Amino acid sequence: MKEIRNPKAKGRRKSETRRPNHPAPAKTSFSAFDLRPSFGLRISALGLLLLCAFAVCSFAEEAAPAAGRFRFPPPEFESGYKLPDTTTPPARALVMQYVDVAVFLGALGLATWLTLKKRSRRGIVALSVFSLLYFGFYREGCICAIGSIQNVALALFNSGYTVPLTALIFCLAPIVFALVIGRAFCAAVCPHGAIQDLVLVKPVNIPMWLEHALGVLPFVFLGAGLLFAATGSAFLICRYDPFAPMFRMTGSFLMLSIGAVFLIVGMFIGRPFCRFFCPYGALLRVASVVAKWRVRTTPDYCTQCRLCEQSCPFGALNEPSIPATPVVRSDERRRLVRLFLLTPLLVVGIGGVGSLLAGPAAKLHSTVALAEHWLHHQKTPPEYPAMDPDLLRLKRADKDPKQLVSEAAAMRAVFIRNGWLLGGWIGLVIGAKLISLSLRRTRTDYEPDRGACVGCARCFEFCPNELVRRGLMPASAPAPPPAAKT
Amino acid sequence: MSTAASSHFVVPASKADPRALRTWRTASVIAGAFCVVVCGAMVVGHFRLGVDNPLKSPQVKALKDKLLAAPEDEPLKRQIRALDLQLRQRYFHQLSLNDAGAWLALAGALMFLLAAKREMSLRKTPPMPMPKQHDAARTARELAVARGAVAAVGALVAAGFAIIGVSITTSVPARQAEVEKIFKAGAAGAVPVVDAATPAEMLANWPSFRGADGSGFTKTDGPPTWDTKTGAGILWKSPVAAQGFNSPIVWRNRVFLSGGDILKREVLCFDAANGKLLWQRAIENVPGAPAKVPEVAEQCGYAAPTMATDGRRVYVMFASGELAALTLDGQPVWSKHFGALKNAYGHATSLAVWQGKVLVQLDQGDSPQSGSKMYAFDGATGKIAWEQRRPAPASWASPIVVEAAGKPQIITISVPWAISYAANDGTELWRAREFDGEITPSPIVAGGFVLLISPSNKMAAVKPDGAGDVSKTHEKWAAEDSIPDVTSPVSNGELVFIANTGGMLTCYDVKDGKKVWEHDLNMEVQSSPGIAGNKLYIFGTKGAAVVLEAGRAFKQLARTEMDDKFFASPAFAGGKLFMRGLKHLYCIGEKGAAAAK
Repeated sequence: MKEIRNPKAKGRRKSETRRPNHPAPAKTSFSAFDLRPSFGLRISALGLLLLCAFAVCSFAEEAAPAAGRFRFPPPEFESGYKLPDTTTPPARALVMQYVDVAVFLGALGLATWLTLKKRSRRGIVALSVFSLLYFGFYREGCICAIGSIQNVALALFNSGYTVPLTALIFCLAPIVFALVIGRAFCAAVCPHGAIQDLVLVKPVNIPMWLEHALGVLPFVFLGAGLLFAATGSAFLICRYDPFAPMFRMTGSFLMLSIGAVFLIVGMFIGRPFCRFFCPYGALLRVASVVAKWRVRTTPDYCTQCRLCEQSCPFGALNEPSIPATPVVRSDERRRLVRLFLLTPLLVVGIGGVGSLLAGPAAKLHSTVALAEHWLHHQKTPPEYPAMDPDLLRLKRADKDPKQLVSEAAAMRAVFIRNGWLLGGWIGLVIGAKLISLSLRRTRTDYEPDRGACVGCARCFEFCPNELVRRGLMPASAPAPPPAAKT
Repeated sequence: MSTAASSHFVVPASKADPRALRTWRTASVIAGAFCVVVCGAMVVGHFRLGVDNPLKSPQVKALKDKLLAAPEDEPLKRQIRALDLQLRQRYFHQLSLNDAGAWLALAGALMFLLAAKREMSLRKTPPMPMPKQHDAARTARELAVARGAVAAVGALVAAGFAIIGVSITTSVPARQAEVEKIFKAGAAGAVPVVDAATPAEMLANWPSFRGADGSGFTKTDGPPTWDTKTGAGILWKSPVAAQGFNSPIVWRNRVFLSGGDILKREVLCFDAANGKLLWQRAIENVPGAPAKVPEVAEQCGYAAPTMATDGRRVYVMFASGELAALTLDGQPVWSKHFGALKNAYGHATSLAVWQGKVLVQLDQGDSPQSGSKMYAFDGATGKIAWEQRRPAPASWASPIVVEAAGKPQIITISVPWAISYAANDGTELWRAREFDGEITPSPIVAGGFVLLISPSNKMAAVKPDGAGDVSKTHEKWAAEDSIPDVTSPVSNGELVFIANTGGMLTCYDVKDGKKVWEHDLNMEVQSSPGIAGNKLYIFGTKGAAVVLEAGRAFKQLARTEMDDKFFASPAFAGGKLFMRGLKHLYCIGEKGAAAAK
């Protein structure tokens, strides 16, 4: 064991603060952790770009029929051999669904205990591994809390659909936990978070502006996912889940590639999917803001050594706020007023733009797609029309064309309304984000951000006071008296 | 605010053992390289899957194209099967390699992560606890940049929405009023609401037995003559391997006919331009088919009913009870089986189509109470659109669909009734009791009359505008000379021509039923005659083919003896005549004649 003296301590000598083989620190940064060597950052930026490109490609792929392995047609037998009837696997037994719920609730409880009471990073890692194996590889990413919000949204807006009890519990339990104790689900229960947390090798801090800018995207994804689910069009969140194909060890090439890119980027940028894409994470982020028993680096006093800030790979440690001059305060108030006035305009403006999406978005709905196909077919009949599954579907659905087009028009009207809602939601998120970046905080200590902290417990291991408090490290000097904490 | 601690902290000393560091670094490099190799191999394999996919293989496609030209080429079939098997084996081998690769990649990734994390933990130097120099201006700047970035993302998202919204359009209307407008426009012909060709398209082609209205008449002039020996005037002839008495139908540049026996019943499609066999599709695995194929009398065989098309699909029926729909490319759409049909000579009634519905006149049994029915099936799905019981025993005449008395009517003939049904819902419109015997000649509409033949007995002209039993009220005239027993009449609207089996050709005036002339052709005729322009074509069972002027005086334009036997009726499309013999399918016309459109 080696003793390190607080650099601010009077009478310290430089040689005391440096280990023999350790280069002298740069002026104002920690050399070992300052990864400004921006090589990693460039790699990460490249990864994100690739990710976007793959995402675009994957949308393009949806438009074309994919030659998936399970859609390989059988040979045309001339011998009279009849293929056996196609069977579908039975639904998971009810008792096993209850087992899943029990394991899920147990894992949430355990994660809560490990972050708030036991405060054990090792325990969190162990639970993450278990969650990855159970909810990830064993349950193949389904059922999952992230996707379950779509079941609930569909049930809320479609009287013909009843949300399964298990899906309801998977959706609500993490939110309830988040309202009370923060993001216990993200800490060690979510297999998506677990796999990203486990692959993190060399964390790189990304600039604050980028963090906040990309932080808008999960809310966009959340809004879009709920919109499509509520209209019964598609479960977008499941369709573009980058990790489920990995858990299943099969899937489209592009989605597997996107998952791989997320993991490669995740070796340097902590939990990129959770922070910049996960719609459920966005929901939990909002819910955990009001949590009563939230994660703290140490329940003891903060020495402002900044070790916790350096320990967090997710940029979730907030620094103490700086007192402002009256002039600055006045400027800030004016800005705040302007932003409050701007927010309704953003809601209406982006809402209006969102309504433009109604046409293309409605195409994802089966009725609209069928009607459009039919209308197109009528206007430009192909010279030799092949057997057309869509037209067959139209006939089998026993709908006359007028009824079909009428239903599609009604659905398009719903999408116009929902486009307004989606755009308005995004406007509200942008406005709220701008306001939150303009609010003056009154933080006195380094503390985890209520919304962004996923409770990974890394900072516990770095905080000297916490180590002393837990008896993991002897304090060589008496702790300062409580009176000093003013 | 907490005060900065002035205490000393003890942290673990570095464990950076150079040997351990080197070991873990080497392990991570090896595992990483292993992952890259495995993933690279999987990516290459992914692209190879596309190459080895038998469905997309250009080699298989080329061989299948060859097979279309030579459908009986057994070595070629074997070659295709072998290649297909080889490609499938490669395809599934690649899939199993992918499975193994996924596990290897997972194991490699785990190893890499363990080694890399261990290496990083060994290399990690505990950070230097150091208070931050608070810089209010810098913080304010960072926040301003962050606000700008958030605003930029908002702008980008809005711009993205706008671009997508403007660039991707949908033809689905946003308001119900627009729906009404579309369907009103559809009634005017802008957007037809039926998944079938328009009446104009039907008339321009030869979509069913004796054309769109079953009259055997087209206004477009036909070829004047041809010579079997020199081949002059014969554009092409193609062998027809499948047996059948049915007539060809023509849709654009494709000619369809069916054939079969107890072993196999199939549809053949030829290129109208050159006679090349484009595809040949056996009708198999028909739902509801009995275990054993019903036997059928030789007189009619299995494939006497002529096919029909609505321009979207072709429909075929066999005397053994199968009814099937195929795409124009030969892909099965639906099929069904009526069971063994009770018909002494075998079912020979042809199919008809009307606005996307396929019409089946299924007369069977010995008495009017034998369960005969008229069916309309939805062409796209095979669902029954409507059905009507018919008071008729087995018959061999085919239904026609015509616009008469201002409404679309399906006119059928059997013993003892000729019955007209409303095409849209099968409601009976009128019936006339006229007929006896083995009803084989089909009705036609000419000069405002329905011409109905009671075999070897009489031809009656009935006005099709009545309701109920019109036997005594709507028959305008009847003729009794040289009435055919098998063939159907043909008319150019002014004159009607009938040819009986003995070869006696008789011309009547449609207006009043007076005989204009008659002439013995000295040939046996079982093929219904056809008229193209002003030319009348008659084909004999022993190969004679006669071209006459369809006029008020007998005038023979040409006569030739062909090396074939004819029972089917001619089809006319694009100025060409298509005729099926027992051995060949012929296309007769002048070179450069307009292609069917």
